[in-house]
Amino acid sequence: MLALSRKVNESIVIGQDIEVTILEVKGDQVKIGIQAPKSVPIYRKEIYIQIKEENQKSNVSSVDINKLQDLL
Amino acid sequence: MLINTKCFGEVNIQDEKIVYFPDGILGFEELKNYTIIYDTSRGEKSKIAWLQSTDEPGLALPVISPIDVMEGYDPIVDDELLNVLGDVTPENVVILLVVTVPTDVTKTTANQKAPIIINSDTRLGAQIIVENKDYVIKYPIVGQKKGESSC
Repeated sequence: MLALSRKVNESIVIGQDIEVTILEVKGDQVKIGIQAPKSVPIYRKEIYIQIKEENQKSNVSSVDINKLQDLL
Repeated sequence: MLINTKCFGEVNIQDEKIVYFPDGILGFEELKNYTIIYDTSRGEKSKIAWLQSTDEPGLALPVISPIDVMEGYDPIVDDELLNVLGDVTPENVVILLVVTVPTDVTKTTANQKAPIIINSDTRLGAQIIVENKDYVIKYPIVGQKKGESSC
């Protein structure tokens, strides 16, 4: 992994159209601003992973939809 | 066109019933085309529908309208994310929650945090992570009926 040191208000440019700026540092929390084309989805990683896993679980949950329908 | 589905075998789908997801859905980013299948075999309109991939028969997620499982679902979505779908209005928007059915069906949940949002005019869709802090990935949807969960 490439590691770069940055100060508040300094940026990193990735490729031609993505810019990541450090906006604020407070204790162990860092606020980051990201400028990217709309076509690039940006997610908080832990949420991204949880949702991905939930979709995969959903896809195998064909079990007994009729039984479920009766409960709803 | 004829498509193969996970639960209903071969189904004939009109081309205009196919929704394009430019980013796919999370975990299945490479699959972009979907249709929504309602199971009409139960007579009354069933609450659970299927978001069926038209590219991959094995991918079909059960989905439900938030109206059927909770009151006042009001997702907060960044405008930029919605713009990808074209001009989304209350008239053309379709919102569905992905349902996960575990072995114990009474523990079924719906994903409030990442609804499927479709613009029915442009037929573009996306799974969007909403800003609402109190919305969860596993929202229990069974249990309103108490004491009669016979299996």
